[in-house]
Amino acid sequence: MEGSEKAGGSWSSSSSCWAWTNNNNNGSSSSEVDQMLLPIANVGRIMKQILPENAKVSKEAKETMQECVSEFISFVTGEASDKCRKERRKTLNADDICSALTKLGFDDYALPLHTYLHRDRLHFTFDP
Amino acid sequence: MRQAGAYSGIHCGGISGKMGPHPLPLARIKKIMKRSGSGDEVKMISAEAPIAFAKACEFFIEEITKRSWVMATQSKRRTLLKDDVASALIATDVFDFLITLVSHSASPAITTTTNLMSMDS
Repeated sequence: MEGSEKAGGSWSSSSSCWAWTNNNNNGSSSSEVDQMLLPIANVGRIMKQILPENAKVSKEAKETMQECVSEFISFVTGEASDKCRKERRKTLNADDICSALTKLGFDDYALPLHTYLHRDRLHFTFDP
Repeated sequence: MRQAGAYSGIHCGGISGKMGPHPLPLARIKKIMKRSGSGDEVKMISAEAPIAFAKACEFFIEEITKRSWVMATQSKRRTLLKDDVASALIATDVFDFLITLVSHSASPAITTTTNLMSMDS
């Protein structure tokens, strides 16, 4: 598949981290201009699940939501990444995301998220 | 038995269902995170970070959807439209960073309101 070459780099993983290696540093390609979105089916499903059963969602509304989510990820990642840089850490982790969410006004998400993550960490550690 | 890594079970459909299937694809989330670098790139991302974002994005989508639904209901509709999403974003301060996404193609009523808000009196 030509995807990784088009993107200008590739992923590799160790047991706990993903690392990105650039093929080159010029950074400009058509894939950068295309906006990266989460699949409309997944986004649409989450929207419908929270609405009453007789509700409908227009395709345009789902598309707008896709764009909003990508922007949200970029926005929060930027803040989390700044924190890592200031603290001279190379790896962005889930706690950085929780802090960034609080800092940007999404503190309503931070506590439930923290609970969710710790519950799952527990499963990984103690489940036989 | 070796315990599976953070993603292997998820991508294959479940480490005995501990994490369950994710409503949003983790690999795609990672790509978007990678794209977000303005100057310095995000170089390394822990395995948990996209999992955290998958959940945060769910909360995000749910909140905007609920607020948009209020707008649709006020117009006595049962179909959520793009304008409802735009109205919900404009009405909520925390979503100010998204205004440019909707203002360029918003309906005239919303655009007018936005212009009025930015006019000097």
